[in-house]
Amino acid sequence: MSEAINIGTIDDIDEGEARVIPAEENGTDQDIAVFHAEDGNFYALDDTCTHETASLADGWIEGTEVECPVHSAKFCLKSGTALCMPATIAARTHKVEVSGQDVLLYPAVSVVDA
Amino acid sequence: MSIESVLIIGGGLSGFTTAKELRERGFAGMLSIIDPEGMPYDRPPLSKDYLAGSKDATGIALAPASWYEENHVTIVTGTVAALDPDAGTATLKDGRVLAADRLVLATGGKARRLSIPGGDLPGVLELRTKNDADRLRSLLAPGVRLAIVGAGLIGAETASSARGFGAEVTLVDPVEIPLVPVIGEVLATRLHAMHAEHQVRTVTGIPEEITHDARGYRLALSTGETIEADVVLVGIGITAATELAEAAGLDTDNGVLVDERGATSHPRVFAVGDSARTRLADGTLLRRAEHWEHAMNAGSSAAAAILEQDLPVHGASWFWSDRHGVHVEGVGSMHGEGEHIVRMLDGVPIAAFRLDEAGLMLGAAAIDGGLTVRAARRIIDRLIKVDALALADPATPLKKLAR
Repeated sequence: MSEAINIGTIDDIDEGEARVIPAEENGTDQDIAVFHAEDGNFYALDDTCTHETASLADGWIEGTEVECPVHSAKFCLKSGTALCMPATIAARTHKVEVSGQDVLLYPAVSVVDA
Repeated sequence: MSIESVLIIGGGLSGFTTAKELRERGFAGMLSIIDPEGMPYDRPPLSKDYLAGSKDATGIALAPASWYEENHVTIVTGTVAALDPDAGTATLKDGRVLAADRLVLATGGKARRLSIPGGDLPGVLELRTKNDADRLRSLLAPGVRLAIVGAGLIGAETASSARGFGAEVTLVDPVEIPLVPVIGEVLATRLHAMHAEHQVRTVTGIPEEITHDARGYRLALSTGETIEADVVLVGIGITAATELAEAAGLDTDNGVLVDERGATSHPRVFAVGDSARTRLADGTLLRRAEHWEHAMNAGSSAAAAILEQDLPVHGASWFWSDRHGVHVEGVGSMHGEGEHIVRMLDGVPIAAFRLDEAGLMLGAAAIDGGLTVRAARRIIDRLIKVDALALADPATPLKKLAR
């Protein structure tokens, strides 16, 4: 199990916003988007849409879903599930924990396994 | 009577979505898709990534082969020659007969040909299928002269992709600035100007004759100009494939007529996607919709209707286009009366909106404006009143206005 990365405090990412932790910082081969969902929780997915090249962190975050800003594929922030076409492949999830004020990202630790 | 089998004729997005939604909505019966091309694939990349070669056939599949196995959806490669709605059968060209409780017509459209002398020359290409894209790609090379008739979505996208091969592209359209009704004049003008910036020559005119000899093709235009080309592509829209429905006695009128559920004039037959046209309860015929998302939505509505479930609610229509490195999107309708507002950034138009008298948004379009379009769509669907000044101000994120 990989080490947690402290990506900042809970105030650093507004609700309904996201931040990208680049591959070179997160230690995986993919950029990771950390979302502050409208349920107040933090979730993380691979940033690149599974359909075509687009950053999900730039997408529309509503409830616990994100809509890709290019072709409107939607993903569940909790499970990574592709909720509608044109995406058919789930986005990879990464575990996020809030410890006090800090947001901790566990790159490559999927939520299913965690 | 419970529905035990559904046969979908056509494996484009609407046919595929009908199958996918039937399964997701709990249908456990027999489910087959018949298509001359076999496995369903996505068509938008045919003028973009697939044509360019950056996506292959696997990359544009609507679902991996395993999905069909897991979901017990049978793909029948074949062409339907005739339907018998009363019997619930489809007869294939090779003589096979398939039967089902419900038939879904997802026959799509055929590329419209130029009805001018030479318009039917065998080398005059169209772009509707994977094979069409493969053929066009095989002809593109540095210096090859490509003439494209029609500067709408497919024509403009193909022009952009062909530049990537180094082809010399001439784009011909009867109107000076295409897409004005779809995205408004200001954005359409910016987009059209991008062709020249990318060494695509744009010509305004109506083709009157195409001839071919050893030197290649010659397009004679209404303006007196002649365009010489090695390859000619025509992208002037589609005609709905209604032949099967007509021959089977279903109501058609520039499309297979359906109600809002996708039901045709025969209770056993549904129709979805580009080939279907909605007839409202009072008899009004809507315009046939040909965009990607409409095909998907129609498939999900028909699946719900077949299973007698509540129909899903679909919002304002939406489309996109990619060319010369920019992503264009439109939502709702930009055409017609109302206040037209343009959002400029550093002197360049980036978005346009159309409002009605009450301040409700009717349409929006943007270039590289992902969140703007997503916000606009919610503003339209949720009837949120917005201020024209705020829309014009690039410092006001539309997201803020949508919430």
